[in-house]
This record gives sequence, C-alpha cells and structure tokens, in this order.
Amino acid sequence: MRTLNFAKRNFKEIIRDPLSIIFSVVLPLFLLWIFQQFKIPSENYKLQNFTPGIIVFGFSFITLFTATLVSKDRTTSLLVRLGISPMTPIEYIGGYMLSIIPMLIIQIILFFILAVVLGLKFTVYTVLAVPVSIMVSVLFIALGIIIGSFASEKASSGMASVIVQLVCFTSGMYFPKEAVGKGFAKICEYLPFEPSLNIIKGVMNNKQEIITARNIAVFLVYTLLAMAVAAVIFKRKMLSDNK
Amino acid sequence: MLAIEASNLTKKFKQKTAVNGIDLSIEKGELFALLGTNGAGKTTTIKMLSTLIVPTAGQIKINGMDIISERQRIRQILNVSPQETAVAPNLSVKENLEFMAGVYGIADKKKKIEELINLFGLNEVLSQKAKTLSGGWQRKVSIAIALINDPEILFLDEPTLGLDVIARKELWKIIEGLKGKITVILTTHYMEEAERLSDRIGIMANGDLIATGSADQLKAKAGTDNFEDAFVKIATGGETE
Repeated sequence: MRTLNFAKRNFKEIIRDPLSIIFSVVLPLFLLWIFQQFKIPSENYKLQNFTPGIIVFGFSFITLFTATLVSKDRTTSLLVRLGISPMTPIEYIGGYMLSIIPMLIIQIILFFILAVVLGLKFTVYTVLAVPVSIMVSVLFIALGIIIGSFASEKASSGMASVIVQLVCFTSGMYFPKEAVGKGFAKICEYLPFEPSLNIIKGVMNNKQEIITARNIAVFLVYTLLAMAVAAVIFKRKMLSDNK
Repeated sequence: MLAIEASNLTKKFKQKTAVNGIDLSIEKGELFALLGTNGAGKTTTIKMLSTLIVPTAGQIKINGMDIISERQRIRQILNVSPQETAVAPNLSVKENLEFMAGVYGIADKKKKIEELINLFGLNEVLSQKAKTLSGGWQRKVSIAIALINDPEILFLDEPTLGLDVIARKELWKIIEGLKGKITVILTTHYMEEAERLSDRIGIMANGDLIATGSADQLKAKAGTDNFEDAFVKIATGGETE
C-alpha cells in the first residue's frame, strides 16, 4: 500500500512537470518518423527492426527522467521526512518504478501507433510486445534510480545521457555491431542494450530465434543487479545525505 | 515516565566528533529545546533521536524501546518537521496531507486531515501547490504533516527559521497548543522562542551537552537576568564577557 501511495505521489509530480514527458516521447517519435522518410537501404531501418530500436531508445530517456526525479527528491527535505517514516527502501524503489509505468505505456503505444501508420504490420505480436517492453523497461528505470541516487540534479542528466549514447551505439538500432569490429561486437553482447532490443524485436516479429539464451541471461543479470544496486545505493545515499 | 533516554550518545563523521557522548532524558509531554551555536551538534542529535542516522556509540530508548532493534515500531510513534520545509512541491496542501497519511497508513484519513486543516487554518490554501506557498504557510503545512500520525514524540528542527514576526508568533501559538499532549523536542537559534515555549532547555557546544534546566534555572546558573546573556555565558564558558 505504501508503495502505491508513493507511486501515486510520484506520478502526480511527473505529470505536473510535463517538459520531460514531451521530450522522452516526442523526440523518439520524431526520429521514428524522420528515418522512415529517408528510405535508408539498411535492414536496421526497416520498421520491424527500427521500431524496437526506438522503443529501447525511448527507454534511455526514461533513465534520464527517473534519474532527475530521484535526484530532485534528494535535494528536498521531503526525503528526510520519509527517511524517518516506516517506508522501506524496497517501497521507495517500487514506488518510483510504478509511477513511471503509466508514462511508459503511453510512450510504447504511441511508438506502435506511429509505426503502424508508417506501414508496420499490426498483429497480435505487436500487442504482446507492449507488456514485454514494459518488463524490459524495468532495467532502464533501475539505472535511472542508481544515477539519481548518487548524482546531483544537474549531474544526473549528464550521466543519464551516457546511457542514451550507449543505447545508440551498442544496441544495434542504428548500425550492425559487426560493422565496427569483432571486439566491439563482443562488448555489445555483454552489455544489456542489444539483448533488450532483441527481446522486444523477437516478440514483436514473432521470431523467437532472435532471442538467444545469452540475450535473456545478460538482460536478467543486469536487471536484477541494477534493482539490487538501486535499493542499496538509494538507502546508503539517503543516510549519507542526511548526515 | 521517560519519552527519551539517551546515554553516552556519540556521532563521529570520520575524524570529526559531532556529538560527544551526551546523556539526555526527556519526560513524556515535555517540551524540550536544544540550543547551541552553529555546528554545536543539535541537528545531528535530533537526527539520531529520530532514527534518521545511526549513532556511532551509545544507547537511545524511545518510550522504552531500543532505537536499533525496534526502529520500525519507533517510527510509527514519532515524526519530524525538518529544518528546510519538507513538502512535495508539485502537490497541493491537501494532497501532501493525503500522501503522508498514506505513508503512515492512517485508518481514518479523512477525519485526521480535516482535524489538521482546522487546527492549522489551512482551508484557504488547501488546493494551492506547496511550492507556491509563502515561507510561513510552508512551515505550517510542514508541521501539520508532522502531526499526521498523531506522534507521541515530535521533533521540530528550527521551525520558525526565516519567518517574519507575525508568522513566528502564529507558529508559537500552535506549538504551545501541543504542550503536555505530546513530547516536543525543538531546536532553535531564537532565545525568546526557547524561553517562551520550553519546559526545559539543553545547551550544546562542540558536541557536548553542557547544561540543562528551565530558563530560570539556566539564568540563575549563569548569574544573569537575561536568558540570551545566560546562553552566551554558558555556551562560551564566559569567554565573551
């Protein structure tokens, strides 16, 4: 109940500060649209491949958005008040995560609507990709909480933009990782961004062969680790901020 | 019966000792003011007593409960109004009260909120976003929020800091209304505030609790007629005379 209560408060704070919502939804939508206008002769830019890429790219903005929300909270005395309340770190993390989900759903649905308008074939797997994408987004929210827990409000947006860049370069959304070299391709396999993209792409296109066991393992390890680290760092920072 | 019992309470931050093995007892229903110069250790003491930070050494009992092993139970019976105004900026006053009622799982939320609205006269600002309120109103809301769980112990960290004289006197009236009903621990830099509101006053300097007593007892101890002079004499060991 406390998690839901905290999520409700966070959600209200989010929707009343709409600039970042517009940014995290409108920019990826624009990119999805503009790249389809160029008719680039590459598999990466075909809608069935580029739409999952844009979804993961949109999630990197969710990281930025969450990091800002958490770091902003840390700068106010509200966390001092909450720090002596019966709320536990897990309830904080749950509250932050739940509050972002309505925005994520809107974001994902808008991406799919635009993709369908641009020519993506609408199937039952498109619908199935929505809950799967939400599951994938947990990783990005957790990364945002980690960044927001130790960085200041100004620094957190800079640090989160590193995630945005990593998604662009290592997820394979813009170019095949092999184009850069074998070493780079290997690194991409062990970072969570390509697996995140492959999971959504595999479900959306009903091509299970895209989702390898390594993809699932890498994604799960990063997500569980990120959630655990987020809880620990958030609690530690909350205590040290209050010294 | 004691609401707070602290013995050998110590807090060290790396090499710096912020609070240096103090002993402190506060009776139930007492209004206890903690005075001291900047960096004396008042806020650190309050943070330890309110469970926000863990002491480096020493023991604290709140209503007989150990602050480490019974932390969660203790958190249900105390609340704090921090030094800076602690409100959710984009929520209205009513939403702030509802949010904190949810944090404490208040059973009859509506009734409790109504009671606080009447006590603090919040009706005129109820639907206003907290960030748009004046400093005085924000403080009032902050203290109202701190009473949402009917705390048995309330910590007020410099509740009237930066307020104009009228807003300060309004808050004093509210704090005086709490006397005897709940235990209040207040830190302040305003001598008049401590003298007028408190049953007992503790004076801290360099992490030590160097004197405790009523305002009259402290004046007598310092041999002065004026409480501010008594504070200066005690806090500095008479060096500024």
